[in-house]
Amino acid sequence: MNDERVIDERRQRAKAQWEALGRSPVPFIYIGAASCGLAAGAADTQKAVEEYLAQNKIDARIIPVGCIGPCYLEPLMDVQMPGRSRISYSNVAVKDVVPILAGFFEEGVIPKSHLAGHFGKGELDGIPRFFDLPMLKPQVRIVLRNCGLIDPDDLDHYLASGGYEGFEKCLSMTWKEVLDTVKQSGIRGRGGAGFPTWRKWTICRETEGKERNLICNADEGDPGAFMNRSLIEGDPHAVLEGMLIAAYTIGASHGYVYIRAEYPLAIKRLRKAMAQMREVGLLGQNILGSDFHFDIKIKEGAGAFVCGEETALIASIEGKRGMPRTRPPFPAVSGLRGEPTIINNVETLGTLPNILRNGAQWYASYGTETSKGTKTFSLVGKVRRTGLIEVPLGITLRKVIYDIGGGTQKPFKAVQSGGPSGGCLSEEFLDLPIDYEHLAEAGAIMGSGGLIVVDSDTCIVDMAKYFMTFTQRESCGKCVPCRVGTRHMVEILERVCDGKAELADLDKLEKLGRTVKNGSLCQLGATAPNPALSTLKYFRPEFIAHVKDRRCPAVSCKNLVIYRVVASKCTGCQRCVKVCPTGAITGPRSEPHNLDQSKCIKCRSCYEVCRFDAIAGDAIIIES
Amino acid sequence: MAREEPRTLSLEINHRKVSFPEGVTVLRAAELNDVYIPSLCSHKDLSPFGGCRLCMVEIEGMRGYPLSCNTIAQEGMKVLTDTAMLRELRAEILKLILSEHPSSCLVCGEKDECRDYQGTIRKAGVTTGCRFCPNDGQCELQDVVEKVGLTEIDFPIYYHGYEPEHDDPFYDRDYNICILCGRCVRMCQEVRGTGVLAFTYRGPRAKIGPAFGRSHVEAGCEFCGACVDVCPTGALADKASKWDGKPDGSLVSTCPFCAVGCQVELDHKDGRFSKATANMDPEVNDGQLCVKGRFCMPEVTHHFERAKKPMLRKGEYFREVSWAEALEKVAVELKNVRPDEFLTLVSPDLTNESLFAAQKFVRECVGSNGIDSTARMELAGGLGLWSKLLSLPISIKDVSRADVILAVGLDSRFNFSVVGTKVRKALDRGARLVAIDSREGNLARYTDDWLRPTPGKEGRLLTFLADALGGHAADSSSAAADASVESESLDRALKILSAAKDLTVIVGPQVFHYRDVEDLVAGLLALADRKDTNFIPLYFGANARGALEMGVFPEIGPGGSPRKDEGLSLADITSGSKRPKVIYLVGDIPFLERPDCDFLIVQDIYLPSFKVDAFLPAATFAESGGTLVNMEGRVQEILQVEHPPEGAVTGFMRPDWRTFSELAQAMGSPGMNYRTYEDVDAEIHAAVADFPARPDRMPRRMRPLDLASVPKPQESRRGKKGKAGFLLVAEPAGYRHRGIDISSKVGGLGELALEEGFRMNPEDLVSCGLKHDDTITLSFDGGKVSVSGPARSDSECPRGVIYYTRPVVFGGLGHRRGLWPLYRLEENPTWVSLSVTTAGKT
Repeated sequence: MNDERVIDERRQRAKAQWEALGRSPVPFIYIGAASCGLAAGAADTQKAVEEYLAQNKIDARIIPVGCIGPCYLEPLMDVQMPGRSRISYSNVAVKDVVPILAGFFEEGVIPKSHLAGHFGKGELDGIPRFFDLPMLKPQVRIVLRNCGLIDPDDLDHYLASGGYEGFEKCLSMTWKEVLDTVKQSGIRGRGGAGFPTWRKWTICRETEGKERNLICNADEGDPGAFMNRSLIEGDPHAVLEGMLIAAYTIGASHGYVYIRAEYPLAIKRLRKAMAQMREVGLLGQNILGSDFHFDIKIKEGAGAFVCGEETALIASIEGKRGMPRTRPPFPAVSGLRGEPTIINNVETLGTLPNILRNGAQWYASYGTETSKGTKTFSLVGKVRRTGLIEVPLGITLRKVIYDIGGGTQKPFKAVQSGGPSGGCLSEEFLDLPIDYEHLAEAGAIMGSGGLIVVDSDTCIVDMAKYFMTFTQRESCGKCVPCRVGTRHMVEILERVCDGKAELADLDKLEKLGRTVKNGSLCQLGATAPNPALSTLKYFRPEFIAHVKDRRCPAVSCKNLVIYRVVASKCTGCQRCVKVCPTGAITGPRSEPHNLDQSKCIKCRSCYEVCRFDAIAGDAIIIES
Repeated sequence: MAREEPRTLSLEINHRKVSFPEGVTVLRAAELNDVYIPSLCSHKDLSPFGGCRLCMVEIEGMRGYPLSCNTIAQEGMKVLTDTAMLRELRAEILKLILSEHPSSCLVCGEKDECRDYQGTIRKAGVTTGCRFCPNDGQCELQDVVEKVGLTEIDFPIYYHGYEPEHDDPFYDRDYNICILCGRCVRMCQEVRGTGVLAFTYRGPRAKIGPAFGRSHVEAGCEFCGACVDVCPTGALADKASKWDGKPDGSLVSTCPFCAVGCQVELDHKDGRFSKATANMDPEVNDGQLCVKGRFCMPEVTHHFERAKKPMLRKGEYFREVSWAEALEKVAVELKNVRPDEFLTLVSPDLTNESLFAAQKFVRECVGSNGIDSTARMELAGGLGLWSKLLSLPISIKDVSRADVILAVGLDSRFNFSVVGTKVRKALDRGARLVAIDSREGNLARYTDDWLRPTPGKEGRLLTFLADALGGHAADSSSAAADASVESESLDRALKILSAAKDLTVIVGPQVFHYRDVEDLVAGLLALADRKDTNFIPLYFGANARGALEMGVFPEIGPGGSPRKDEGLSLADITSGSKRPKVIYLVGDIPFLERPDCDFLIVQDIYLPSFKVDAFLPAATFAESGGTLVNMEGRVQEILQVEHPPEGAVTGFMRPDWRTFSELAQAMGSPGMNYRTYEDVDAEIHAAVADFPARPDRMPRRMRPLDLASVPKPQESRRGKKGKAGFLLVAEPAGYRHRGIDISSKVGGLGELALEEGFRMNPEDLVSCGLKHDDTITLSFDGGKVSVSGPARSDSECPRGVIYYTRPVVFGGLGHRRGLWPLYRLEENPTWVSLSVTTAGKT
C-alpha cells in the first residue's frame, strides 16, 4: 500500500528512534567516510576502530557519515557514549584510535588530544561546540544540514530529520502553488548560470507536450569542486526529494541523474537510496497514493567536462556524441528526445525540500536582494582551513577567507572563483559581497562554487595557464573560437611562462579572449578566457614582469627561476645532496655545497628539505 | 494536400527594409536580398550547425551575437551585418580557421600575379596552399577569405600532419585541409541515413571519420559521394577529377546506368566530360546518387580500351577501316542473308532512339523479325508479367512518404541506393519497415519485422500476406513452416501491413530471378489490388522499359503491337537449337565465346574478347544525346556533353541510330534518314501510343501486354540435398552497361570486387575448414557438372546457402569463364555439393 500513512508512520518511528539514539545504551562511533575522509585514511581508521572493539569485546555501533565540512580535519571520528553528547575528534590516524577509544571505554574520560568539538546543546566541560568553531560558526547549513550527521545509507535517519516532509507538503499543493513558493524563495540555479529556477520551470510547463523530463546534473566537472559529490555522498535523499518536488511541479514522469563516472561512491549511495525510495512507494506509479508517476534512471558520464553543458548532456543521454548544439530551441522547450526538459543542478534540487518544508520566506530571509538563500562552496588552496562550507549569499570574500578559512600563511594574492570558467580576484576585492551580480561585475562568476585561494607563492600566470589548458583539452571541437582560439591562448600563456613572449602577445591574448568569449557556441568556450582575462586585468604587473623582465615574481615558473646555494648559510649537512634526483648538488660534509645549474630540474626537493629538515633552514634560495 | 505559399514578411538589414518568405533563416533572408553574410558550415539541405561562427550578426533585442543560420527571420527584426565588432570577430575567426588549414597562398600578396603569370612558383606540395590544392578556384574557404578581405594571419600555423587517406576507392580524404564544418557528417547522418561519418576524439584532436578508425568500406559506406559534394574545401575530393581544376560548365542529364534514371549534372572541362554530381531533382533522386552514377561515368566512357574506330576482319587480320568501307561490307552481308538466318540483339541500355531505329532497320531494311534483347533476361518472369508490373502505380519519390514499407529482397548498399535512402527517409518520419529477405541486407537493422525465409520461398510468404490482406482467411503457421520462418514473425508482419495507409512495396531484382516465380507474381498482383499501394519493382537494364515500348522482341513491335511473324530469338542461340548465318550484336553481348555463325557484327563501345568480323564503334551516353524511359515511365533526356570531331585521335564513334540510318542508305533502303535523335523521336511519338513528343519526364503507367507471362511450372528438378549439400542461389549482376560489366573498367568498383566468388556465411566456411579466398568446387546435376571458384566470407548470407552472381553480358569478365556451366543453369536456387579444392590463396 503506497500510502501517505505508510511514510508518516515510518517517519514517526524514525523520529522516535533518532531521539532514542541519545538515550541508547549502545555507544556510537561515527566515521567521516565520504570521499574526502576516505582519501585522508578514514578506511584504515575505521578498521582500527573495528579491531579495538572486537579485541575488547565492546558492543558499539559504527556509523559511516558524509562530509561535515572541514576537510582539513579529516579523518573525523565522533564518539557518542550512552547518555552523553556526541564528541568529535579530528585528524584521527590509525595510531590515534586506540588512545582515544581507550580514554572513553577504559578510563571513562573525554580524551583531550585531537579533540575538535561536541554536538550537544549547551556547554560541556570547556569543550567548544563543534558548530561554534571559527570555520563553522559563520556558516548557515541548509543544504548540508544532514551531511556528516546522518548515515547516508539509512532512510530512517533522513526521515527523522524531517525528510520527505517537503515533498508531502508539495503533494497537497497544486503545481502552481509549488512554483509560486519556489519563486518567492528567490532561489537561482546553483550550477553556475544563476538563472531563476522558477522561470525555467515555467517555460517548461507552458510548452505543449505529453512527456516531460527532469534531469539532475551531477556531472560536476570543475577541477577543485566537490560540493555536489559531498552532498550526494552525505545526504542522497535530499537530492532525490528535490527531484520529486521539481518533477511534480513541471509535470515530468521521467527523471535522470547524469553523474560523472568518476564518483563511484556517490553513484553507490544514489542507487541504494533509490532502491529505498521504491520500497516505500516514493518512486514509480502513484507515488504515495497520488496520481503522480515518476521514476529515475542513472546515467553515468564518460569522462567529458563538456557534458556538464545542458545540450551536450542531453545528447549524451540520447547516446550521441556529447557536443552542444545551437539554441534556440532551449531544453526547457525541446530537450531530451525533443520533449520539454528541465536540467537542475544537484544543489538546487537539494535545497528544494528545505524551501518546501520551512517556507519560502524563511529561505528568502537569507542572502541579498537579488541573490537569495545560501550557497555551498569548496574553499580550497592556501587557506589554513580548507573544506566544504555553506554560507548565506552576500557574505564578503574577506569573511569567507579569513574568518571561516583562517586566512593564508603567506601573503594573500588572489581568489579564483568559479573554476576554469571563473575569474581571479585580487586583494582589492576582498570586501566584495559574494553574489551573482557583484561577481559578474568584477569579471568573475559564481560558477558551481569553487573558491581557490592562492598566496604569493603561486604564479598567477601559471594559474591562468592551468585553467586554460584544462578547458582546451575538454573542448568538444565543434566551434572554431573554442577549439582553435583557446589553443592559441594557451600557446601564448606557455610562452609567457617560459619567458619567450613579447608585450604584443598580451594584446593578442586580450583580443583572442574577446573573440572566444563572443564567438563560442556554448558556455565552456564563452567562459574559457575568463581566468586569462581576469588575471591580465588585475595582475598585469605580474604578466609584464614575465614578459619584459623575464622574471616570475612568485618564483615559480621553472624556466624563469634558478636555484642557488647561499654559501654563507650552508652548514654542509648534505641533506639536499641525498634528495637531489639528478646529482646537481654536490659537496663534501661540513663545507658549503655546490649547485650545478645545468643539471638542476627545479623539482624543489632541495629547497623543501633545507627549509624543513636541515640545520641551516634557509641556505637554498630560488630566485627569478 | 495543397502547398500553401508562405507569406511575405519584411525586416531591416543594415537599415534597409527588405522582404522575405516566412519561415526562412536570417541568413537566407539576407542571401535573397543580396546581402552577403559569410558562412562555411551551413548548407541549404542540412540542419544548422553553428560551428564556424562566421555568420554572426547583431539583432536588436537579442543579446550577444546570434547566428543568422540558426535564427528564424521575424517580421520587423532589425539586423546589422557589418558593424566594427562583427568585422573584427569575423576576421579573427577566419584567421583561427586558417591557422589550422594550409593557407599561405590564401593571404599571399602576390596571389593574383601568381595565378595569372605564375611569377612566383615555388616547388612545394599541397601543404603550402591553394595553388597546389585540388580545390583551387572551387573552394568556399577561398571565397570567404576573399570576400572578408583578409590579408594576413598573425597566429602561429598548426599543421595537423595527418596522413592523407587514399585506401578507400573513389575519393581521397586529406583531413589536413578539413575545417571541421561537419557538413559531411550531417549529410551522411541526416540525409543519407547511413551514418558512416562522425566527429571522433575532441578538442584540438577532433577529426572526422568512421567510428573506431575503420575503413569506409568496412563502415558501410555506400560511396554515394554526397559528402564529397558538400565539402567546402578540398578535404574530400574525387580521385578521378581531383586535379582537373574548375570545370568549364555543366549540363543536367540522366544517368544511364539503371532504371531509376537519376538526374545528374555533368561537368566538362576542355571539351571533355570530367565529373558527374547529383542534380537537386525533386521528382526522382532529390540530390542523391549511387556509386555507379556518381563515380563510374567518366571511366566507362574514357577507358583506354575504348574501341573508337570501325574495324573489319580481312583474312587473319582485323583492321581499322573507314566508315564507308565498313558500312559497305556490312550492308552486303545483310542484303544477302536470309531473314530467318539473321539475329540482332539490342541492349536494354540503348536509348529509345537507338532501339526504335534498330527494330525498324531489322524489320524494314533487312526484312527480318530476328530481333531480341537480353532485356528479357533482366525482366525475368516474362515480358507479359513485366508489362503488368509496370502498369502499377510506381513512384520513387513517394517512397519517402510511405507509412509502411514492405521490402522483398532489397539490398540497396550499392545498387538502387537512392531507393534505399528514400526508405531511410521514410523511417525517419516514423514509417515501419517489414523485410522479406533471406540475406541480411543493408536495411535489415531498421526493420520492425524481418522475415528470413529459405531462398526461393519469398513468394510463398508474399502470397500469404496478400491473401490475408485481401480479406481471405489464411493460416500463417503453414506458410511460415513452408518458408522456414516463425509464425509469430509472420503474424507481426501482417499486423503491421494491415495498419498501413500508404503502403510501398519494393521488390528487389534478386527474387525475380528464381526459376519458380508464380507465388511471387501472384502475391504481387494481389497486393496491387490494394488501394494506394506504391510499387517499386526493381530490375537491371537502364532502358529495359524502353525496350518493351520500342518492341525489340520477336513477339512485339513498337507500342506493344503483337507480331506473329517468325524470327530467330535469343533462346534459339543460347539453347543451340538454331544457327544463324549473321549475328548483329548492338551493345548486347551475352557470350563469353564467339557465338556460332558465319558473320558476326558487333556495334558497341568496347571490343569483345572473342573474334568478330565487323566492329562498328558506338557513341556512349556522353557522346550522343537521346532519351531513356525509367521504371516510372518517365521519358528523360540524356544530353550530349562531348562533341569530339571525328579523327584519328578522337575516334569515329557514332550514335547507334545514326549507324542504322547510314546502313539503311548503304543498303539502298529508303525511309531511315535520321540526322538528329529528335527525328527518331518524331517517329516514336507516332508509333507508340502514349509516348510524348518531347521528353517531358512525366510518369506513365504502361498498358499491359497481352502475352503469356509466367512460365508454366515444370517438374522441380531441384534434386536431393545430398551430403555436403548447399543451396546455391544466383543473383543478377548489377553492373552491366551495354556489353560490359563496368567493374572491369572502373578501378574503384573492381577494387570492391562486389560480385566475385561464391559468398558464404563465415560460420559455414569454418565448418568446412575453409578460409576466405580458398578455392571450392561445386558440383550439381547429379555430379555431372562442376565449377570452381573462390569462396568469399559474407556475414550477410544465411547458413547453408551459397550466393553467386550471374551476369547477362560478359565484357571484361573473361576471368569467370570457368563458371559458364553455372550461367547456363536454369534451376535457381539449386542444390549443389561442395568440395574443397585447395586451401590457401591461389
